[in-house]
Amino acid sequence: MKTQSKIELKPLFVERMKELLGKEFESYLEILEVPPVRSFRCNTLKISPENLKKRLENNGWKISQPWKEHEEVMVVESQLKPGELGNSLEHLLGYYYIQELASMLPVLVLKPEKNQLVLDLCASPGSKTTQMSSFMENTGTIIANEISLGRIRILATNLERCGVSNVIITKKEGSAFCKRLERQNVQFDKILLDAPCSGEGTIRSSQKTPVMWNINTVKILSNMQKNLVSSAISILKKGGELVYSTCTHSPEENEEIVDYVLKNFPNIKIQKILLPIQSKLGIQKWQDKEYLEDVKFSCRVYPHVANTEGFYIAKFKKIK
Amino acid sequence: MTFIKILSKNEKREIERKLNKQFGVKEIPGMLIKFGNDRIFFFSGKLKENEIRIIESEVPIERIGVYFARIMNDFPKLSIEATQILKEQISKNIFELNQQQSKEWMSGRDLNIQTEQKGFLVMKYKDEVLGCGKASENKISNFIPKMRRLKNKEI
Repeated sequence: MKTQSKIELKPLFVERMKELLGKEFESYLEILEVPPVRSFRCNTLKISPENLKKRLENNGWKISQPWKEHEEVMVVESQLKPGELGNSLEHLLGYYYIQELASMLPVLVLKPEKNQLVLDLCASPGSKTTQMSSFMENTGTIIANEISLGRIRILATNLERCGVSNVIITKKEGSAFCKRLERQNVQFDKILLDAPCSGEGTIRSSQKTPVMWNINTVKILSNMQKNLVSSAISILKKGGELVYSTCTHSPEENEEIVDYVLKNFPNIKIQKILLPIQSKLGIQKWQDKEYLEDVKFSCRVYPHVANTEGFYIAKFKKIK
Repeated sequence: MTFIKILSKNEKREIERKLNKQFGVKEIPGMLIKFGNDRIFFFSGKLKENEIRIIESEVPIERIGVYFARIMNDFPKLSIEATQILKEQISKNIFELNQQQSKEWMSGRDLNIQTEQKGFLVMKYKDEVLGCGKASENKISNFIPKMRRLKNKEI
């Protein structure tokens, strides 16, 4: 198996992951040294999976479709030249979007539908926004919010390349965005909160993550995530659904947020979710904290279990 | 913040009239929004103007829909996405590229060729529409944005 350069992990991070994974920790370390799978998603707004696959195979690429029920999800099995995936004509024309497999899961769980009003609260770089637009066939409306102008430029470029025409991009801090729309009684059918996080799940593909990681950031982010999810709930329709996701493993940013929602919002129920890959249940205890039993209905995606990046996903419904 | 103007029925009709004359386009299937002085965006979403205005009154809107055209010499110069959206309606002033020309076109180069056609053309290679060019006496000027150009010149 091809390996990539050794990744240096900070001692506290190692300690926490050992506590989280127990005997599986060694397998986790091993997979970090294996380059990530090269996956992408067919942009069904522009081309069918069948036609895209044919075109790419004519270019000499070997393509597999790992998830039977989601033909749009593809993996390049053959060796490509550096940059070839991002510089093909098909990519420039917006026929596919390079996206990590685990990053596709939150939208598969949210399942936005045609003609719905959908919010992507922290939208850049737009992988999930473009995926939602494909689900909705460019109908309904997605409001894609982002706080940073630099990241909005990246978002706009990706939406444009993919021919996404049902999106309104707004620039506002997430909680403030929700408060502003709440006072106008704007309510959404579906909300995706792919929250800013410490990114522990991306260590395999981003060498910067372990360097930047520190426990204080995890705690700061945890508070910010609680604030964001509370605000998002205030503009979710009765009967509406919200998916909370992160690309991190730290329970402070995951189960603690779900536990906080379930304890503070009696009209919000967690939903069971089915993923097309192997995952683990949300944990019930972390250090000195015990979480509500229903927190187990959230999903942990680990690199050594699913051969993807690490992810965490929970789905909520506002009851009528 | 950029100035946003949702085009009225008449303003949209005027753009449709120009596109009809040049390319045979009959109808643009959505809302047109003008950002700044000359950039036009296409929105296929369900929110109506008054609903968009409510959102705009609370949070800054950076963009609505997909980049569609830039007004150039009083004519809407179509983006790649606009030519894809209107593909089935475009029936005239189409320039059919051969394989070599399509490589050059997607690499961002002007095509140094004489064509009897004048003004804006929709560039096409086989079944693929590749945006808009402008034909003058000895060349077709290329408008493929830098970020969308092929770097390995292969197609």
